[in-house]
Order: sequence, then structure tokens, then C-alpha cells
Amino acid sequence: MSSVIMEPHKDLVCLGAGFMSGLVAAEVARDSHNYQVVAITKGPWWDYVSDFSTTKYDEWGVGLGRKYDSPLPVQSTTIRNSPTQFALPVRRYTMPIQYHALGHGVGGAAQHYGGTMGRQGPWGYQQKTLTDTNYPGKLTNIQSNNDLQDWPLDYAGYEPYYHKWELVYGLCGTNNGSPNDTSSDLNYPWMDSSYGSKYPMPPHPLTQVAQQFQSACLATPPPQGAKFTSYHPFPHVSSLASQPYTNVPYGVPVNPCVYDGYCGGNCNYACETGAKANAAYRTIPAAMATGNFKLVTNAYIFRLVWDATSHTVTEAHYYDAQGNVHIQPGTVFFNGMWGYNMIRIMLLSGVGVPYVFNSGPPQSGSGSVGRGLTNGYAPYTGTSVTGTLNLGANSYSAGNASGGSVDIYDLMDDNFDHTNLNFIGGAQIGLGGYAGGGPGNITLAGGVSPSNTGVGGTFKAKQKDRYLPTTTGVGATPFAPDIPTYDHYVDLDPHYTDIYGDPLSRLTYDWTDNMYNGATYLATVVAAILTKMGASNVKVATTPPKVHNDWWGHHLRGGCRIGKDPASSVFNSWNQHWLVGSPSTIGTNYFAAGEITNTAGDTVPSGTHVAGPQSWRAAEGIKQYLMSPGLLTP
Amino acid sequence: MPALKIPRKVRSIVAPFVESRVPGPEEFVVLSEPLLNATLKLAELLRECKPKWAMSGDAGELVSGVNVSADHLSILTTAEGCEEISRKLAENLVQTPGMVERKLEREANIDLKPYPVQIKSYEARFQIDGQRLDVYGGLQIRVGDWEWGDPLDYSPEYVYVGSEKLPVVPLRLKTELYIGLGWMDRVKKINEAMTRRHHGPGFGG
Repeated sequence: MSSVIMEPHKDLVCLGAGFMSGLVAAEVARDSHNYQVVAITKGPWWDYVSDFSTTKYDEWGVGLGRKYDSPLPVQSTTIRNSPTQFALPVRRYTMPIQYHALGHGVGGAAQHYGGTMGRQGPWGYQQKTLTDTNYPGKLTNIQSNNDLQDWPLDYAGYEPYYHKWELVYGLCGTNNGSPNDTSSDLNYPWMDSSYGSKYPMPPHPLTQVAQQFQSACLATPPPQGAKFTSYHPFPHVSSLASQPYTNVPYGVPVNPCVYDGYCGGNCNYACETGAKANAAYRTIPAAMATGNFKLVTNAYIFRLVWDATSHTVTEAHYYDAQGNVHIQPGTVFFNGMWGYNMIRIMLLSGVGVPYVFNSGPPQSGSGSVGRGLTNGYAPYTGTSVTGTLNLGANSYSAGNASGGSVDIYDLMDDNFDHTNLNFIGGAQIGLGGYAGGGPGNITLAGGVSPSNTGVGGTFKAKQKDRYLPTTTGVGATPFAPDIPTYDHYVDLDPHYTDIYGDPLSRLTYDWTDNMYNGATYLATVVAAILTKMGASNVKVATTPPKVHNDWWGHHLRGGCRIGKDPASSVFNSWNQHWLVGSPSTIGTNYFAAGEITNTAGDTVPSGTHVAGPQSWRAAEGIKQYLMSPGLLTP
Repeated sequence: MPALKIPRKVRSIVAPFVESRVPGPEEFVVLSEPLLNATLKLAELLRECKPKWAMSGDAGELVSGVNVSADHLSILTTAEGCEEISRKLAENLVQTPGMVERKLEREANIDLKPYPVQIKSYEARFQIDGQRLDVYGGLQIRVGDWEWGDPLDYSPEYVYVGSEKLPVVPLRLKTELYIGLGWMDRVKKINEAMTRRHHGPGFGG
């Protein structure tokens, strides 16, 4: 028999216990006012020793069974490519539908991500204004139904938060290849020395391929129209601790990476030493140490209670593992759920104004919750450039998911003239990472058949070459930013429900032209660098036309924007939910931050890094709100 | 879309879940903020210090991931190092450097018998941002009436505290000392930390 249980009131209720909630919880619980904080997550607490140190080597259970990930039978989503299609639910985590699984439990998706980091530069925060200023009319020409918006703050506004957040999570790297020339129109994410001009820990050791890439970048002339005189290669920024580390200002010690090889690899593997930065091993301990923080696990939040009179969220309702309903009242609510789960719970609860697509012509939309869904990841069938280095390797070599490689930001943002190009932005290019996905015995087993491996001696030779190859393949799949459009959005599915009977989120999304147009140009430029590396057989493979998105990878972004206009964004610059009201705009007690809130497809792969500063700013906003409720002003 | 109504009737669901035990606050290793700030300041002040020095004591173990509590900072160095540190931290000096010999509060436990433990070192004391810092130069240990041991020597390991690269006394040396003193509870704590760091057994059994 299920019961309804009323929980004690808390000053702050965090929905989810991942990257964003962890930091907000720690910051608010550590405040001198002794605020009482609770974080509620649908999964368990993972102990990296007892849960991961031996069992994660179960490649079948982890890679295919996805035993650490959010169980789809409980909650999934539906996907479609256009508003006229019937969306179908995602029922399994394997390709081609999805191999980047959603996280589960304390730490969220960061328990098994690759730890790739990299700040977004000034252009990324002001894409619309800078494009309209520098290339009038281009945006409409590329994507006539675009719904691009600027962020509420520019890079300089976020930089102090970047620095603080990087010290907490412990990032490795040097800088961003930035010449630190803040006065130029180059769009590197520069690192102001007043905040610390480098990441706290040194980068992971570079692989031989990375070193060759670095040398080749320095020796390759920039493409025509470049605003830089030579490439600026730099070690990849990673959140996998390269050294023993104690974070600041929380004092939580962190173990270094042991390069076990079972790391990101399609986001399969959790870390067995806690070196992979996530809330469970960076921020939650600091919150716990205050005595002001409670962590509730295996709790499925199914509704927020919205009081339309006071314009506040008053309660969060969740099921525990036994099916009991818990009612959690609070003064402030922070939503740190995974992106479209964040949107879904708002739509289910009547928080905010749901986005409504108008097919036009011309296309348009109203409302904000669910608006502007984008993608921060390459189409897996995308344009690519490949080549072969005459360099032996060992597929069993240890490593991790985001160390060892070298990146350039020079082909990103507006660091080259786009006047005669049919896209905006560019891509971060990186090469030479470790093999961090485990040896891949599943793939091997799946690939053994007489038709593709031969038999007898042929089979043995192929397997030997697989594990001790005499050459190394190099390549990249670059793509330009995804531009949000009116017809890409999140709403509630009218047909499919979760295990408790509530509608699933429905994602309407397809690749956009800007991504593909940029990919073709960028692949050609990267081909010149691969050739300079000494690669043979360098080829650019262009994407076949009419390839549609058929995954719901967790690099989908947007849909719950922070912005400058309460009519088209859900949150203001403090990540506070705001509503157009009469006579004035209302600021509610509901805050959120996450990868999903990005207003456009990222210009760097890691939305997590971009979202980090938002969570810090949200924490500051929440503390302001607790002192003086109301609309926070910039 | 209007908000949906919360179902009146709770559905009985058998949802898959992983059993979860949330650790208690005492299971998390955290260096207190005052000590952390003092550590950062210390690392900055001693950045150019030539003689060998390393963070020691409970705080040194704590930044290496050992679950102990610390109420002050300690440095293990040589007599020359103690002099050099005293010069660099002259403004923070509380007790001028000099040879100090004293008995530890905790006794050694060898073959189930208690023995007094004495230490002597060229010692100085400081206050960094209100936090106590003890500096031990050429520390020697004597158990019972046995001979004094050699001055402790080590190759420091390094921990990054924020952006500061901080030398720390290796846990292996600490383990050997604790085994020698029969302080197996401390050995166990280091072993637990090493198990978490290397997913395997630590030092000394």
C-alpha cells in the first residue's frame, strides 16, 4: 500500500543531482545563512570502488546492457524529424538510435562521459548580433526559419564563473590556444590573467599522433581569409584529473586518472578512481560536509506544483522506490535535470509558457518552454576527412577518453572570413586522443564472420592487425554550429507515456544546413593539415544528401533558453525563471541551468563546460533571491 | 498546454532500481576552508623555496585523499629548510626556529606493548591566515629507549591544490612510519585511500 509522505520544508530543492545541481547545492549549503538544501535524483549513489572498479569491465553489460544508465522502461522520449511526422519512442540505447546514454543517479551523465571540456568564446555568446553586424542577411540566407538568439551575457560576463567552476571541477590543460588579445576581433576564449591564465592542472601527456598534429598545424599555412597568421595548437582540455588534486574552494581531494582504457568510449564507462569530474566526487562531498544538505536517491520526480497566484513553485512531488509519493516543499527550486527532462517536468507541471510552433508560412512560434532545440554533435554520417599514418599502435594501450590530443580553435567561430562562405561559425578540431573506449571486444565479436574477416590464417592476420596495427587512421568529422529553427522543439508526446502514465517528451529535430555547409569547407581545410602530418590516402567524404537525424543523443541542446527577452526565453541571466507579467515582468522562485539551456548549437563540443558557469551564476542568483525574493536584475 | 492533474490514485509500479547507500558526511574527505586557504597561501609563499620541503601531518594526508581530520598544517623539511622557510614567512613567525625534543601524546604499540614516542627536530611555528603551521626540520623519532632514528628523508609527491603544485610527504613513508609505531588504524586509513586511488591494495598489508 503506497503512502503520501510530507517532507520537511527546505530553503532550496534541487531537482536532480548532477553537474549543475551539485554545484548549486554546495554553494547554497555552504552559505553563512545555513540554508537547508535537498537534492532529489532518480538513480542511486555510485561508489566508484564498489560499483565500478571491477564491474565496469563487463563490456556487454555496460556497453550494450547500459546497466549504469537511465532505464528506458521507466522513462524515455520520442523523436521525429519534422512536426508532420509521428514520433516514435526510443526503446534501446544502441546505434543507430542512440549510443550516448543518459546518466542515472548522483553525478548524472558525467559519471560516464568523456570529460571533454573547452570554453566557448566570445562569438558563441553573441552569434546573432555578430553575424547580423558582420554579415548582414547571411543568417536568413542560410536558414530562413532561424530562431537564433544571443546569450544574456557576453563572454566577459561569464569568464569569472568559468574560472571558479574550473577550480571546483579540476580541469587539465594549458590555455585555449588563445593569444589573449582581448582587444582583437579574434574569437578565442581568452583567459584573463586576473582570473588565472591557465587551467589548474597540466594536460595529460600527448600521444605521438597528437604531437605530429601539433607540428603539422604550426607548419601548415592558414586558409585564405583566416584572421590568424598561424594555427594555435594546444593540449585538449579535459576534466579527467591528470594529477592528484584538491579542489578550490571546497577542499575535496581527487584521485588522478589511472589510464585504464575503459573511459568514455561512446560514454560507456564510469571512472573507477573518481578522476572523472562529476558532482558526486567534486561538489556533493562539500555540500554533505556542511550538515545542511540531504541527498535523496532512487526518487522519481513527477510533478512540480505551480501556484499561479504567487507565481511560485511550492512543492516537488516524487515517487520513491517503493511507490510512495513524497511531497517536498521549498522556498526555491533549482532544476538540474537532464535537458529535455527539465523541459518535460515544466510542461507536465504548467511552469512557464509552452512553446507552440506555427507552420506559417512563414514559420514562427510563440511561448518559450521547449523552444529552440539544437544539436551540439556531429551527424555520425557526416562529412569527414580521413588519412593513414605510417605509425604502429597498440589497441590495448591504456588511456582515457579526453586526454592526449591536441586541439585548434582557429577554425572555430569567426576566426576566418565568412563573407563568401555559406555558413557561420566553424569547429574545434582535435586529433590524437587515447583509445579510451576499452578494447572493444563486443565490436570484435559482432564483426567476426567469414564474410568480413575471412577464416583461418586470414582471420588471425586480421585480428593481429586489429590489436597491433602497423598503421594508424586519423581523421575528423568537423561541422559548423547548428542553428535553432522554429520547427525544432520539445513538447509532450500525445501517445507515449512513462512507466507512471505521464506523457514522454517529444523531440522534433533534424540536422540543419549550416552544419553540413560548414562541414564541407572545414574538412577540406583539415585535409591540408593531415597531408602535412604525412598522412597518406587523405580523403574527404561528403555527406550524402537527405540524411536525417535518427538519434536523440544527449548532445541535443537548447529548448529552455536563458536570454534577454522573457517572451522568447525561459530564464534570465541569473538562470531565474521569468514571465512577462502585468504591469511588470515577474521573477519566480524557480531556477535552472544545464547543457540544454544553450541558445544555439555549441561552437565547442562540451556544452557541459559552457553550462558550468551558468550553474555558478544560478547559485549566486538563488542566494540573492533567498535574501530578497523577486525578479533579479542584471 | 494546461498543466496535468496529479493522479489521485498512486500507481503501483515495479520500476528497476539499483540499491543505494548514500555515504554519511563523515565518509567524505574534505579539507576545511580555513586550512585550504592557508595551504594556498603557503604554497604561494614557498613557491621559490629551494630546500626540500613537503606538506606533512594530517593535512598532508588529507589532501592526498586520506580520511582524517586536520586542525593545523605541518611541513617536513631539513634544518636548512626550516631556516629558509622562517625567512620567507618571517611576518608569520610565532615561534623562532630551534631544536625541540618532546614526547608524543600517542604511544607506539609494538608486540602489543605500549612504548613512549619521542621526536626531535629543528622546529618553528607560524600563523598563516589564523591557521597554525608547524615546520619540522630533520625530524627524528625514538621509540622507548631505543636509538634515535635517522632524520626522515623522502622524495616528495605532488598534489595540485587549485592551481598550486604542492609537495607532500609520500603516503608510503607515512605507512612505513605508522607500521613501525604500530598505529594500524592510520595504516588502514591510508590503505583505504590507496584502494580508492588505485583500485587495489595499498601499502603495508
